[in-house]
Amino acid sequence: MWHLTLRNVRAHAGRLRLTVLAVALAVAVVAGGTALTGASQRLLDAQFRTAAAGVDVTVRAAAAFDSAMGVEVDREPLPAALVDEVAAAPGVARVLPVVEGSGLLEVDGRAVVPTGASVLSSFAPAPFGAFVLREGRAPTRSGEAVVDVATARAAGVAVGDRVDLLTDGRSTVRVVGLVGFADGDGLPGATVVLVPLADAQRLLGTGEGFTELRVRTTTGTPVADAVAALRTRLGADYAVASGQDTAEASAAAAGEQLGSLRLVLAALSGAVLLVGAVLVANTFTIVIGQRRREIALLRAAGATSGQVTRAVLAEAVVVGAVGSVLGTALGLVTAEGLRVLARAAGSDLPEGRLGTTPAAVLLAVLVGVGVTALAAVGAARSAARVAPVEAIRASVDVVGGPGPRRGRATARAVPLVAGVVGLAAVAAGAPAALLAPAAIATVVGVVLNAAVVTPALTRALGAPLARAGVPGQLAREAAARAPRRTTSTAIALALGLALVGFTSVVATSLRDGLSGAYRETITADLVVESARGEMLGGLSPAVADRLRSVPQVEVASRVRYGHVLDGGTTTALAAVDPATLPAVAELDMVEGSVEALAGGGVLVAESLSTERDLHVGDVVRLTLSHAGVQELEVVGVVDSLDAQALSTAWIVSLDTYARHFAEDLDASVLVRTAGGVSADEARASVRAALADHPTAAVRDQAAAAQARGAAVDEVLGLVGVLLGLVVVLALLGVTSTLALSVAERVREIGLLRAVGTTSGQVGRMFRAEALLVAALATVLGLGLGVALGALTVSAVLGREAPLAVSLPVGRLAAVVLAAGVVGVVAGLAPARRAARTDVLTALAAD
Amino acid sequence: MSTTTVTRPPAHAARPTPPAAVARGVVKTYGTGPTAVHALAGADLEVGAGRLTAVMGPSGSGKSTLMHALAGLDTVDAGSVRLGDVELTTLSERQRTVLRRERVGFVFQSFNLVPSLTALENITLPLRLARRQAEPAWLDELVGTLDLRDRLGHRPHELSGGQQQRVAVARALVTRPDLVLADEPTGNLDSHHGQALLAFLRRAAHELGQTVVMVTHDPAAATYADRVVLLVDGRVVGDLAEPTVPAVVAAMAGLERRAPRAEG
Repeated sequence: MWHLTLRNVRAHAGRLRLTVLAVALAVAVVAGGTALTGASQRLLDAQFRTAAAGVDVTVRAAAAFDSAMGVEVDREPLPAALVDEVAAAPGVARVLPVVEGSGLLEVDGRAVVPTGASVLSSFAPAPFGAFVLREGRAPTRSGEAVVDVATARAAGVAVGDRVDLLTDGRSTVRVVGLVGFADGDGLPGATVVLVPLADAQRLLGTGEGFTELRVRTTTGTPVADAVAALRTRLGADYAVASGQDTAEASAAAAGEQLGSLRLVLAALSGAVLLVGAVLVANTFTIVIGQRRREIALLRAAGATSGQVTRAVLAEAVVVGAVGSVLGTALGLVTAEGLRVLARAAGSDLPEGRLGTTPAAVLLAVLVGVGVTALAAVGAARSAARVAPVEAIRASVDVVGGPGPRRGRATARAVPLVAGVVGLAAVAAGAPAALLAPAAIATVVGVVLNAAVVTPALTRALGAPLARAGVPGQLAREAAARAPRRTTSTAIALALGLALVGFTSVVATSLRDGLSGAYRETITADLVVESARGEMLGGLSPAVADRLRSVPQVEVASRVRYGHVLDGGTTTALAAVDPATLPAVAELDMVEGSVEALAGGGVLVAESLSTERDLHVGDVVRLTLSHAGVQELEVVGVVDSLDAQALSTAWIVSLDTYARHFAEDLDASVLVRTAGGVSADEARASVRAALADHPTAAVRDQAAAAQARGAAVDEVLGLVGVLLGLVVVLALLGVTSTLALSVAERVREIGLLRAVGTTSGQVGRMFRAEALLVAALATVLGLGLGVALGALTVSAVLGREAPLAVSLPVGRLAAVVLAAGVVGVVAGLAPARRAARTDVLTALAAD
Repeated sequence: MSTTTVTRPPAHAARPTPPAAVARGVVKTYGTGPTAVHALAGADLEVGAGRLTAVMGPSGSGKSTLMHALAGLDTVDAGSVRLGDVELTTLSERQRTVLRRERVGFVFQSFNLVPSLTALENITLPLRLARRQAEPAWLDELVGTLDLRDRLGHRPHELSGGQQQRVAVARALVTRPDLVLADEPTGNLDSHHGQALLAFLRRAAHELGQTVVMVTHDPAAATYADRVVLLVDGRVVGDLAEPTVPAVVAAMAGLERRAPRAEG
């Protein structure tokens, strides 16, 4: 049978070409995604390993957890005396103290703002540092610095130039050398400035202290022994780790931000595979339908139904394998493309060659072949049911088939009913965990049952087409009266559009909810925040200090964030000034008061209060990054929406924050301007006052509210990419199904031509049908997606804090337009083929 | 040439009427060189108006090709094909299509109906394509005569083979075409339904005044015709008026004997 399979694939190569392409595209996305995340993680690992290559042991201040949300936590500086203590430990050969932090580089008065970190660090000579001098010399005297080659090139800095460094203040340094990072010219997405140790201590405000001690062990001392010895000697206040472990932890922290990318790519891969699978299933069903006579002949000649099933599945495996191999080859190109897109969407990915591993290739091929084979199971089973007698019986003229068979209607309705009941339960307050299975059941149910509504829907949608002339009428009838064929042609596009609709509605609602909450709660006239959008905020505390001295400013109130570990997950905690906050924000209190924060304690959001039954007077235990487990008394409960405006469910005072966190950066400064000062004047004076802080963006309240949605906009950007991919795949799907349908209906076309349909009319008929299919897919898919999205927003996301459903009208209109384009374009080739059908050949066809 | 008795007047019609369709010296060759097939090698035929003409001949004699040429379904390499006063050989593909839907009706052996359309929609399809309204009286007469009145709302797969074929006949006649062509119309029907269909085609010619040309290889079917034309090797070689089964069988047997000689 294998021989026959190959013959079949070769004989029907034309019909299967688009299917192979669809599999290839789907696999390309899967392979590209895994290649991108895999390679990015490898590049990060290599980068940090290189950085720590010459370091055997690192000593830092202890922290309860190393990193949160992709950011390494700040630690207390190490006392100067620790250097001698470490140096005296057994097995330690050399100790190098290091001070690391961030400082913005300014060249010719213009800030160089990288997408990632602005690294400012003490220069660590080899073997302690991974930066190698490429030009000039190391910084030795105060006021000297070296810059990484990549930054120097981009910003036009040469040895001998003077550049400014912005930390709490501004300092001018002279560039005496350029460094590379191992083999590379710099760190991806970052600027690197290295200065003498004493300068770093002064600029970064560590006093006599250091941020890290790097240790070389004596020859013959195993690193593990040195680590153990140092741990015993230094006690629990210090974290002692091998250089490799530290590098791995750093790489893991940097890799955490790959996590969300991985999630998005997984969703993308899933969607593409689903659409691809539907397409494969369609193709095989039609191809098998066309080959019934041939299959019956095989059965008559003695093939068992099992053999027939296996032959069809083997064909799918061949198609899947060819598509997967092509797709994997395309994967690397896709990975580059995805990297560009992810960067554009704000993801900070390392530079470097994207390679793939045999395991990743194998995975992609297995997924491609598996999905293709699975998708063909239905067709294989129907092939197995072909009776040998069909070979001799005259061909039956039932093409496209009537509606769904009644016998199975009940079975088919089960998932739909279950799904809708589940959704209704969620809407009525059932656990949110039910949403996903109920939504999936509903989607499956709609896919299975769509053919029931297709006739009515197609007739309604086709009304304008029918008015346009006979071909439109014929197309409408053909589509409405072969509901299974029409539905299966539309379903791939419908699924894609459902996904796009769902994500758009959820993302837009979230965005509008976030900025809406901010708009209603924050009453500040101006908001100063870091233009770079750092995780914890990137404003120097000097910003707020400076603002307080501006006469046009009446109140400048800081907001800063810290990470806490709460029941195993890291989350953010906000710190505010209880004395000035009421002047710039209106927090509705359910219990207690903002002022009560002054005495220590914590405010919790109402949603959290309800969930955990927390009330004023209760004590909560939170793990803080370096203060460890702390008990805080609940002094108030804040309205959930208002807490959301501060992007957190936990709020403490700045004093409490200062006691428990090492970080000293503000996320934003909320400003109320003095009475009688115009908005323009206030903004101008604030801008002027912050001239030394180029990364501080001054926004009015409305713009700041808008900026809350920026992260969601990035998600929406990826949704756009998703839409593009789905459109391409759906285009292939509609085209291939329609082309197969043309082949299947060749006699019908011949008949139409014989009774006087012009070739132009035949072409118009199929183009109209393609458009109708696209319209059907839009109504089904977008309708389903938007409905599920709205339900998710109102019934699930809206539980924590009221969230209104926002319909992204413009975006949805664009989706409808894209679907229309798919309809028009997808119909072109099949329609041309149908129009060119030779009448006599068509009539003679069997 | 070898055409012999085309001018013999039909028994039932006293006055001679101009022929509905005329083919003269029609040549149609498929392929080139040694593999060339001469489907028609100078065929001549006059189709009498208002008569049922049967075309018979062995496989490969050119029956279907001649019919396709008469219908404007296919082009010819040489000769002339006239339908009424229109010369088909000079028409463009599009013009032939329009001519087909307005002046020619078709009945095929199988797959006669568009599956997605109801019986009534199938019948009126040529009118819709030409943006014309059906003449209610004529449509009613066809539907009544063909006993389709209660099947009009059904789709082809809900009709029996005989009903499907009657719908096809109604469609072929609905435009009152100058020429109705039927290619083995009873090929897929049982003898009962076959005879009923043939009887109707004969009535269509004699009572409704339609000109019908039917290709068949069934001598019994041919006896319903007013006249049988015999084709061999792409030429008309014989003509039987008012055929009977023995006469047709004998003529056919004669053809079978002649065929290998490929006389010229």
